[in-house]
Amino acid sequence: MSNPIKVDIWSDVQCPWCYIGKRKFEAGAAEFGGDVEVEYHSFELAPDTPVDFDGSPADYLAQRKGLPMAQVEEMLERVTGIAKSVGLDYDYDHVHQTNTVISHELIHFAKSKGRQLEMKERLLDAYFVRGEHVGRIPDLVAIAVDLGFDEAEVTEALESHRFLADVKADVALAQEYGIQGVPFFVIDGKYGVSGAQEAATFANVLTQVQNEREAV
Amino acid sequence: MDAPTLPLPIIALAQLGDPGAAACEGDFCAIPDHHQQAVVNRKLDEDLV
Repeated sequence: MSNPIKVDIWSDVQCPWCYIGKRKFEAGAAEFGGDVEVEYHSFELAPDTPVDFDGSPADYLAQRKGLPMAQVEEMLERVTGIAKSVGLDYDYDHVHQTNTVISHELIHFAKSKGRQLEMKERLLDAYFVRGEHVGRIPDLVAIAVDLGFDEAEVTEALESHRFLADVKADVALAQEYGIQGVPFFVIDGKYGVSGAQEAATFANVLTQVQNEREAV
Repeated sequence: MDAPTLPLPIIALAQLGDPGAAACEGDFCAIPDHHQQAVVNRKLDEDLV
């Protein structure tokens, strides 16, 4: 019986490098070729962001960081270009900057149904590509229903915040690991890989873990 | 000004990979230099087409 390599990934829904890193990790895991079990964990980059932030991501960065708008727009254009290189069509003109905590609750809800990976991908796509709002309960319920989840059950889970404790537990565990930024990959519980690394890096780390297991 | 002292991790991990890989910290997502150079190169290539 195979013993897959466990990969725990801390990530936020509105983190551009997390989606790019997801694609690079997936390519690296495919290159590795062995059994890998992925579990996503919640990380809130900006928990003080209002759900209905009045403005675009460019406005948000300009306001929060005091950067000139031209510089912000150039940064977003660069990230969009890098996303394109891994097959992702970021559409920053239609992105809704928001608070992501309830979207993390939805990911935990999906996890309870054995469908976490599907929901994670759908929410990243919703935020960066489709221009959907990922901070409001009705919008999140619509996304869940689109994936075939039961509307009443999802609504109850999000309105009761039944999975908020799971989100906070993930954030607390990130602190125990000393995680400062995302994406962050914990491989086999002992190796930490930070950021959107190249696919070959992920493949090499997974191969190293596999070799270490075989040497025991 | 001195950098803030970060809390020591409770669970130790061996770090692998490029320490300069792109990541988001707080509400800011920096673009590493090698990515910026790649974009410049791409623009130069496109202009040549």
